[in-house]
Amino acid sequence: MGMTSAVQVPRLLALVPYLIAHPDADLATTASVFGVTPRQLVADLKVLWFCGLPGGGPGDLIEVDMDALEEGRIRLTNADFLGRPLRFTPEEAMSLIVALRACEEMAGASLAPAVRSARAKLEAAFGGADIARVDITVAAGAAPVRDALADAIADGAAVRLTYHGAARGVATEPLVDPVQLGTRDGYGYLTAWARDKGAWRTYRLERIVAVARTGDATGEHGPAPALASGWLDDRGDVVAVTLDLRPDGHWIVEYLPVDDVQHRPRGIVRARLRVADPAWFRRMLLRLGPAVVRVDPPEAAASAIAAAREALETARAATGGAGEGVE
Amino acid sequence: MNLTICLLMARRFVERARLRELVDGYRDLSDAAFERTFERDKEELRAMGVPIETGSNSVLFPDEVGYRIRRRDFELPEIDFDAAETAALGVASTVWDDASRGREAGAALAKLRASGLDPDADRVAGFAPTVGAREPAFETLWEAVLRPSRVAFRYRDRERVIEPWRLLNRTGSWYLIGLDVGRGEGRSFKVSRIASAPALVAGEVRPADPEVVAAHVASLRPRRGIESVVAVREGAAPDLVRFAERVGADAPEGFAAWRVRLPANAAGELAWYGADVLVLEPATLADTVRAHLEAVVAWA
Repeated sequence: MGMTSAVQVPRLLALVPYLIAHPDADLATTASVFGVTPRQLVADLKVLWFCGLPGGGPGDLIEVDMDALEEGRIRLTNADFLGRPLRFTPEEAMSLIVALRACEEMAGASLAPAVRSARAKLEAAFGGADIARVDITVAAGAAPVRDALADAIADGAAVRLTYHGAARGVATEPLVDPVQLGTRDGYGYLTAWARDKGAWRTYRLERIVAVARTGDATGEHGPAPALASGWLDDRGDVVAVTLDLRPDGHWIVEYLPVDDVQHRPRGIVRARLRVADPAWFRRMLLRLGPAVVRVDPPEAAASAIAAAREALETARAATGGAGEGVE
Repeated sequence: MNLTICLLMARRFVERARLRELVDGYRDLSDAAFERTFERDKEELRAMGVPIETGSNSVLFPDEVGYRIRRRDFELPEIDFDAAETAALGVASTVWDDASRGREAGAALAKLRASGLDPDADRVAGFAPTVGAREPAFETLWEAVLRPSRVAFRYRDRERVIEPWRLLNRTGSWYLIGLDVGRGEGRSFKVSRIASAPALVAGEVRPADPEVVAAHVASLRPRRGIESVVAVREGAAPDLVRFAERVGADAPEGFAAWRVRLPANAAGELAWYGADVLVLEPATLADTVRAHLEAVVAWA
C-alpha cells in the first residue's frame, strides 16, 4: 500500500464509490461527509490518482480532474471497478443496529416504522441469528405521549404537559414550547422552553402523562442547551450541603450532581451536593433515611425531620383507625 | 490500495511473485522488504474487513498459493432503504456518545452514503437520542461479544472467565450475560462493577441455551415483588399510582387506597413521599417505613 495508511484505505474504499454516485461533488461537502478536512480530502484524491488497475498505464489509473478540484469540485473517472463500498465490519454493523434499537424506543409514530424497518433490513443483510447479542432499552414513557410531542415539535406547536415531576410528588401542568426529544443515561427526555419559568427545562418522558395542544405556535428562544449539562447547574441560589453516607447510600454519588467525594473510615463516603430545590432535597433525605449519618449544615435537614415526624403521626393515626396490627 | 484493486479485479488466485510484478510500490522492493511489506499490507487489509482469500488455481500443484478477493464478499450488498429509513440511519449514526462506537457507526454511514444513500437531516429534526458507554470495560466486552471470544476479568473479588452471550443496556447501564466457565453456569455482570481490565482469552464459546439466556435477560428487569396496599393523599404521588389499581380499603380522610407492587426494600422509595403516602399492607413493609422515618427524626 506504500504511502497509504490503515485509516486512509477504508476511507478511500468508500470515497471512490461515493464520488461515482455523486458526480461533480462539492469538496467541502464531501469532506464533511467523511469527517476530514478539505485538505486531507485533497491528499486522499492525490493518493487515488496513483491507484488503479494492475499494469499502471495511463488508461489504467483512476483520474481526478485537478482543474475542477482547484474550484472545489471533484470529478473522478476511470474508477468503475470500485463501484460499491466495502462491506460493513461486524463492529460497524452492530454499532448502527444498536443505535437504531435506541432510536426505536424513542421515536414517535411518524419515525418509528422507518427505524424498525431500517434495522430489520440491516439485520437481514449482516446479522442472521447472532444479531441480538447486543441490545438496549430506554425508559421512554408511553408511545402516545412521544407521538404527540414528536408531532408538536414538527408542527412548531406549544403544548401543556401534565407532568409528574419527582421533586414535588404532585402533578404540575407546565406550558412549554417543545424542541427536542433525546436520551441520556437510558431515560428519554423532552427539552422544551418553559413559558412560566422563561427558561429551558428538561422533562423525563416517562413522567409526562398527557400532552395537550394550546393552539399557540412556539416562540423563538435561540438554541436549546445540550441535554448533557446538568440542569441544576443553571439555577440560582444554589446551596452546598455535605452528607456522610453509609454504603447503602453511596449510590447517590453516581446519580446526583456531586461536587466532591471523599472516602472516610468505616465505609463512610462524604459527598458535597449542590442543592437548588429544597423540596427535592427534603425528599432525597427522606429517601436516604438511615443511610445518612451526618448532614452539614444541620439546618439543611430540618425540613426533612419535620416531614418525617408528620408522616409518622399521620401513619399512627391512620393505622390505629384502620385497626392494622402495627404495634 | 493497489493491492486491493489488483486482487479484486483478478478472476483467479494471484501468486505472490505475480503480485510483486503487478502492484505499484512492490516492484522496486528487495526480496525481504517485499515479503515484509506484503505480509503487513495483507494483515492490515484483513483487519479492516477486506476478505482476502488464500488458495490455489491448480489442482495438480495445490502448493502454489495465491490470493484473491471475491467481489461478492467484498462489496456492501444492495439494501433497498427508502428515504425515511435512510433518515433514520442518519440519526442512528450520531447516537453513540462513545468515541469508538461513534467512529464505527460513522464509518458505516459513510459506506451507505458511498452506495448512493443521502440521509435527509430535516426529516428527523428535533430527535436526538444518545447512548453512552462510559464503563471502562465496555470496549473489550463489545469485542468479546461480537467475535465471540472468551473474556476474563475480576468481579466481586473473584477472577472469572466468561463465554459471552449478551451485552445489554438497561436504563443507561450495561450488563454482560454469559457462562461463568469456572462455575459452569450463566451469570449477569454489571459492567461498571467489573474490577479489572477485561482481556480476551483463548477457548471456545459454545452456543447458549436460548431459554437460559432469556431467563437471565428477564432477571435484569426491575423486580416489583410484593403486593402492597398504600393510602395516597388525593393528587399526590402520581408516579406511584399511575399503573395502580384503586381498592376499597379504609383510608384516612383525603386519602385513597391503591394496590401496588413494590420491591421488598421500598422503604426509602415510600419515605420519599413523606406524609402523602401511608402503607396499609403488609404490616412488615409499614414497619420498615416507620423505622426508616424514625431514623430521620433521630437526626434532630
